[in-house]
Amino acid sequence: MTPREVIKKALEEGRVKLLEHEAFDIAKYYGIPTPNAILVKSPDEAYKYADEVGYPMAAKIVSPDITHKSDVGGVKLFIKNREEAYKAVEEIFRNVSQNAPGAKIAGVIVYKMAPPGLETIIGGIRDHVFGPTVMFGLGGIFVEVMRDVSFRVYPVTFEDALEMIDEIKSSRILNGYRGQPPVDKHALADIIVKTSKLLAENEEIESIDLNPVIAYPQGAVAVDVRIIVKQQG
Amino acid sequence: MHALSKFFQPSSVVIIGATPKEGKVGRAILENFIKRFNGRIYPVNPGYDEVLGLKCYRSIKEIPETPDLGVIAIPAIQVPQALRELGEKGTKAVIIISGGFRETGTKEGEALEEELIKISREYGIRVIGPNCIGVYDNWSGVDTFFTQKMKKPPRGYVAFISQSGAFATALMDWMAYHGIGVSRAISYGNKIDVDDVDLLEYLGEDDKTRVVLMYIEGIKESRGRLFIETARRVSLKKPVVVYKAGKTSRGGRAAASHTAAMAGDYSVYRAAFKQAGLIEVDSFDEMMDVVRIFLDQPLMRGNRVYIVTDAGGVGVMLTDALTSAGFEVPVTPPDLREKLRSILPPHCIVDNPIDLTGDTDDERYIRVLEVLSQREDVDAIVVVALPQVPGIKGTFVDYIAKTKEETGKPVVALTIGSEASMETARRLQEKGVTVFESPERLAKSLKALRAYSSYIIKNRPGCSRIDA
Repeated sequence: MTPREVIKKALEEGRVKLLEHEAFDIAKYYGIPTPNAILVKSPDEAYKYADEVGYPMAAKIVSPDITHKSDVGGVKLFIKNREEAYKAVEEIFRNVSQNAPGAKIAGVIVYKMAPPGLETIIGGIRDHVFGPTVMFGLGGIFVEVMRDVSFRVYPVTFEDALEMIDEIKSSRILNGYRGQPPVDKHALADIIVKTSKLLAENEEIESIDLNPVIAYPQGAVAVDVRIIVKQQG
Repeated sequence: MHALSKFFQPSSVVIIGATPKEGKVGRAILENFIKRFNGRIYPVNPGYDEVLGLKCYRSIKEIPETPDLGVIAIPAIQVPQALRELGEKGTKAVIIISGGFRETGTKEGEALEEELIKISREYGIRVIGPNCIGVYDNWSGVDTFFTQKMKKPPRGYVAFISQSGAFATALMDWMAYHGIGVSRAISYGNKIDVDDVDLLEYLGEDDKTRVVLMYIEGIKESRGRLFIETARRVSLKKPVVVYKAGKTSRGGRAAASHTAAMAGDYSVYRAAFKQAGLIEVDSFDEMMDVVRIFLDQPLMRGNRVYIVTDAGGVGVMLTDALTSAGFEVPVTPPDLREKLRSILPPHCIVDNPIDLTGDTDDERYIRVLEVLSQREDVDAIVVVALPQVPGIKGTFVDYIAKTKEETGKPVVALTIGSEASMETARRLQEKGVTVFESPERLAKSLKALRAYSSYIIKNRPGCSRIDA
């Protein structure tokens, strides 16, 4: 589905938060690297696609009615093979039907877990004066406690994006510290530019969070994508 | 001709609400125009046949021509009618001084403002205001600043756009006191039509304006993109210095109640200003320091600053301040060291800061500046001229100014003290050498100059002068 179709469907169904696989689809459409992910509807499907997705694998319930997935037993991590995938998905469905009876279920999203790296955040909002605006910061306390983030308004060039990465106070961490190699700023800048474009081209999107975007010496991947669309009426 | 030029260079003006009554806004404005405006003035007031020696018209209809500019200073409730009559007359530029509109937070006020918007669109009238002090033009004499206790600054090259009328007035007063010349100042109040974007565009093309200063609380919704594009274009021609009020949430609330504008999220503003090439300042001190440095100094092409001082301590303070601001205060290279040694007494310190010590005379400054001005590896010179030392007579002032002119590089000065210091500062400023009293403020201003210079060098290679 194109981003437009995904957004239209969500709005028709009265949802303002896109489901995980929908958000991934939109990100992917704009060339933002995301994990290899598939929405499965049954343990059998999980078994069938597991090898294709890759390991270690994560499985998470997808439901517009469930916000805290782990609380209802809707998350399984570090799945190592197709047999485990079958069991994990089976268990997730069972847990959810017990702990959140009546919740609407879209399926279970299974994806290859990203290896550890430096956690960053790339976000976007629609500012009422300047329009599409993107944000960059480092994950965890850097954003939450230090509020160490930088912004740029649309249009954002690749050069602007590199500049905003260097603008945060803790930017030296990106250059490598305590023996860590520097991370791939070009890959991050590329995601920032694409996020800006994504916001600009889809007026219904109010905000987007790529959190975390895990940065490596080569490449970066948006492990979680949250997209909020405009409430109708 | 620019769409807004009738606000600034009209050949005739009608003042609705002109009155001989002392202390009234209508009188103050009329007096301003009589004093300095060379075009035709038409006072309108149904109660008079003559005001301050001018024929007074009972209504707008009776005026024998179409005035280029209308100024309205009457109670809010009568403003729509006056605006409509100006529309009928064919006047296309109107400044509405009157308050009592949206800013009151009442339904009536809001409805009146909506009516003004409707009428202005119907007749294609450009409007500044309402609820503002309007336009102060030092070159044409258009002056609706009714705050008569304000000293008027001399003619000059700084333009000022302010969302706050009171601040505009105070700043003009301050600039008058400090002898800083102003080209035009505009306070637009509720901005139902003409806003920051329009004014910035106009001042960008205005050859009497070399530096634009903006005081912004909030930009109109949907005008953000255009603001950035305009600012970017203007910034390539001349520096635009911006002060954003309403940065904190507390300040934000104050701004929102001050005018009907919503101050946007500051982080986004900051990013937008940066992308637009604007020079953002954080305080009133910095605002005026930066304006002064832009008025007088050429582009700064590199990062290396040399300090010439008669006071070791101040040299160290400056080194700290400049280094913290991101400048290099290079250690004097061997060839320069040798040269300085040959022209200075042995007790002088030839490291950078170059310390001429407390027994210096003007001559030492002159000799050192002569050497520094020949060097390629000097990007700016800071002269510390504390006048308390006995040997200084003041002849070095001309030489400092000459060094600036001849090298085409920034040369700024620092003096601290009482009358003698003020006198040195005054003489230096007169000759275009920017003077500071504090090392930190000097460093911050030089940093703004450097940042703007880099922006120009990157985007307009080959440009050598700030106002080119």
